[in-house]
Amino acid sequence: MKLAIHHGTTYRYADQVRASIQYLRLTPQDSPRQRVLDWALELPQSAHAQRDGHGNILHVLTLDEPHQAIVIKAHGHVEIDESCESESDPGSPLPYLCSTALTAADAALRTFARSVCGKSRDRAALIGLMERLYQHMPFTPGATRVETTAAQAFALGAGVCQDHTHVFLACVRSLGIPARYVSGYLCAAGSDQLVSHAWAEAWLEGAWYSFDVTNQLARPERHLKLAVGLDYLDACPVRGMCRGGGQEQMHAQLQVVPQQQEQAQEQ
Amino acid sequence: MVRSTYDEMYDVRGDCRAHYRTFARWLAATPAEQLEQRRREADLLFHRAGITFTLYGDDQGTERLIPFDTIPRSIPASEWRKIEQGCIQRVRALNMFLSDLYHDQRIVKAGIVPAEQVLANEGYQLAMQGIDLPHNLYAHIAGVDLVRDGDGTYYVLEDNLRTPSGVSYMLENRKMMMRLFPELFAGQRIAPVNHYPNLLLDTLKSSSLVDHPSVVVLTPGRYNSAYFEHAFLAREMGVELVEGADLFVRDERVYMRTTAGPQPVDVIYRRIDDAFLDPLAFNPDSMLGVPGLLAAYRKGNVVLANAIGTGVADDKSIYPYVPEMIRFYLDEEPILQNVPTWQCRKPAELSHVLANLEQLVVKETQGSGGYGMLVGPAASQAEIETFRARLKANPAAYIAQPTLSLSTCPTFVDSGIAPRHIDLRPFVLSGREVRLVPGGLTRVALREGSLVVNSSQGGGTKDTWVVEEPTVAAESREV
Repeated sequence: MKLAIHHGTTYRYADQVRASIQYLRLTPQDSPRQRVLDWALELPQSAHAQRDGHGNILHVLTLDEPHQAIVIKAHGHVEIDESCESESDPGSPLPYLCSTALTAADAALRTFARSVCGKSRDRAALIGLMERLYQHMPFTPGATRVETTAAQAFALGAGVCQDHTHVFLACVRSLGIPARYVSGYLCAAGSDQLVSHAWAEAWLEGAWYSFDVTNQLARPERHLKLAVGLDYLDACPVRGMCRGGGQEQMHAQLQVVPQQQEQAQEQ
Repeated sequence: MVRSTYDEMYDVRGDCRAHYRTFARWLAATPAEQLEQRRREADLLFHRAGITFTLYGDDQGTERLIPFDTIPRSIPASEWRKIEQGCIQRVRALNMFLSDLYHDQRIVKAGIVPAEQVLANEGYQLAMQGIDLPHNLYAHIAGVDLVRDGDGTYYVLEDNLRTPSGVSYMLENRKMMMRLFPELFAGQRIAPVNHYPNLLLDTLKSSSLVDHPSVVVLTPGRYNSAYFEHAFLAREMGVELVEGADLFVRDERVYMRTTAGPQPVDVIYRRIDDAFLDPLAFNPDSMLGVPGLLAAYRKGNVVLANAIGTGVADDKSIYPYVPEMIRFYLDEEPILQNVPTWQCRKPAELSHVLANLEQLVVKETQGSGGYGMLVGPAASQAEIETFRARLKANPAAYIAQPTLSLSTCPTFVDSGIAPRHIDLRPFVLSGREVRLVPGGLTRVALREGSLVVNSSQGGGTKDTWVVEEPTVAAESREV
C-alpha cells in the first residue's frame, strides 16, 4: 500500500516567544515493512538532522528570533508492505526492559499481566493481553492527559493510544519481555484518513512484533513508523520548550491524498 | 563476636607506627588546652569559610557543619604508591568497560558480564549508544572508596563514577591543618594536595578536542547539598559557575549568556544527575538542565564530565565484576581487592544472605550516601526483619557483603581521644593520563563503634597525609 502524507502542526502562542527549541522525530526510515519513496520537512528555519540513541532521525530546531507561532510540516510518500509481520534488529533489545516514570508497573499491572499470560510468554499470550487490556480500558478521549502514567491510566480504566501503549509496555516488561513505544501514523481501515498514532513493539523470537492495543491489531498493516523509544517522551514526534509565549495552542493537520482537508484526529 | 580491628596509628602491641611517630611526639608535647583552643579555632574558621552542607530529608534545610577532626589520617608513602597504582588501574578498566558497553559490548559477548545485568540496568543510557567520546573517556573524575579490614588489607568498597563529591573537604582540611599546626608540616615531608584544582582543570581541558576550550562548572544551584563544593571548585579553577538557565543551545552548540553576549562552552563539569541534564531528552520537569544539551553532546560539540550513563559501571550489582574487567581489558591482576559480594538476584546467594543477615551488610544496588543500607551486627531485630521482607520482595535490588571491621584512627571525642572507624576516598582524574593527588578524603564515623562514615549519617572528616617514612637520620631529629 502506498501512502501520501501531509502532516502539519501549528503551535500558536498567546504572547511572543523569545526563543524556542524543538526535538523533532518526524522522519520515517526504511525497514522491511516500510519504504520511504520521498520525504521532506518544512520548518521555519533549517534544522540539523542527527540520530538519537534509539536510532531515530532527530531534527533539532532552534528559533531565537521572537515569534508567535511555529509551523512544522512533513510530507512524502511511503510504501507499506502489509505482509511483513516482524522486524529484526542488530542491536540488543535488553535496554527496552527498563521501565520509565510513565511506564512503571505497579502491583495492579503486574498482577493483571500475570493473570492474563500465566506462564506463557509467546505472541499468542501478548495478543490475549492486548485484548484483555482493551476491555479493561476502552478508548476514551479526554480521560487522561499527556503526563498520565501507565498505572494511573490502568486504574482509571480509560485512555487513548498513548495510555494503551504505556500500559501494554509496563505489563510486557514486567513479564521479562523487552518492549518499546512506537510513534507514527495510522491510515484507518476503509478510509483515506490518517491519524497520529502510537503502538507497541515487543521482542519475541529474535524480532520486534507490533501490538496496536487501540485498534486490536497484532499485524501492522497501515502503520507508518516514525520513531521508537522507552515511552512517549522518547519517541513523540515533537518535544519542545520555549522562553516566554504564555498559553500554547496546538493545531495539527493530517492529510492523505487524494482526500483533502481531513481534520486530524489524535487517538 | 570479637573482631580484630586495624588501627592506623598503633600496632597490636600498642606501639606507634613509624609514619605516625613524629605526630605522636608532637601530640604528647602539646598541652591539651592548646589543642582544645585550636580545635575551637578550626570550627570558627570553617563556619566563616562557609563549608557547610544541607542534609537530605531535613525539612528545615538546616545547613550543618561537617565535623572536622584535627588528628590526621596518615599513610606511609610506600603504601600510598600501591593504592595509587590500584586506583589508576581500576579507573582505566572502568573507563574501558563503559566505552565497550556503549560500543561493541565485547565483555558481554565474552560471557564475563551477563548482558541483562548491564543492558537492562537503569544506569545504562540508550542516549549514549552510537556516539564516540574524545579519548574514549567516560568517568573523568572518579572517587574510589577504600576501607581496611582487620589485617590492614585495603579493599575497594565502591567506585563513584557519576558526580563524586567531597574533594573540597580534602583541600580545606589541609588548608586548615597548615594554618592551625604549621609546625607539623615543617618537621616532616607530607605530600601536598593543593594542586588538585590545577589537575582538575587540566583534565577537563584535555577532555576536549578544541584548542583552548572554555570550561564551566554546572551546578543544580545553591539548594544542592554540595553547592559549596561546586562554587569552591569553580573559583579555584578560575572558571564560571553556571546554572542551567545560564546556558542555551543554538545550532547544536552550547553557549553561556554573558553581559558581553553569548560565549561558546566546550566543556561542562556538571554536578547534575543524568536525568536532569536536558528536559527535552530526560526528565521533562527538570528546571536544572539545558534544553537541547543532549543533541549538542551527541553531535560532539560539547564535553560533559562525567559522561552520561556512567552509573551503569558503579552500580553495586556490577561491582563484583570489576576484577574481571581489569583482567579482560588490561590483562593485569587487580592491585586492589574487592570486598566479597553476594548478589541477591542469584537464588543460592540470596538464601545465604537471608540466613546470615545478622552478620552482613546489605546495600541497595542503586543506593548511595549510606541510605537504604543494613549493617547487620549493629541493627535491631526489627530492622533486620524489615530488610528481610525487602530482600524477598525485590532481591535483584540488593547485594550483601561481610561486615568489614574498618580500620580506626585516633579521634577527638567528648571523653578525650578514642579510636573511630574511617574510610578513604581518593579522587582519580582521567585525562591524557590518569592521575591522583596523594591521599584523598578521609571520613570518620564519629559515633563509637559505628561503621557508617557518610556525612549524611553523622560522619566527620580528617586531613589525609601521605608521609615519606622517616629515615634513620630524620628519626633522630626532634620536632
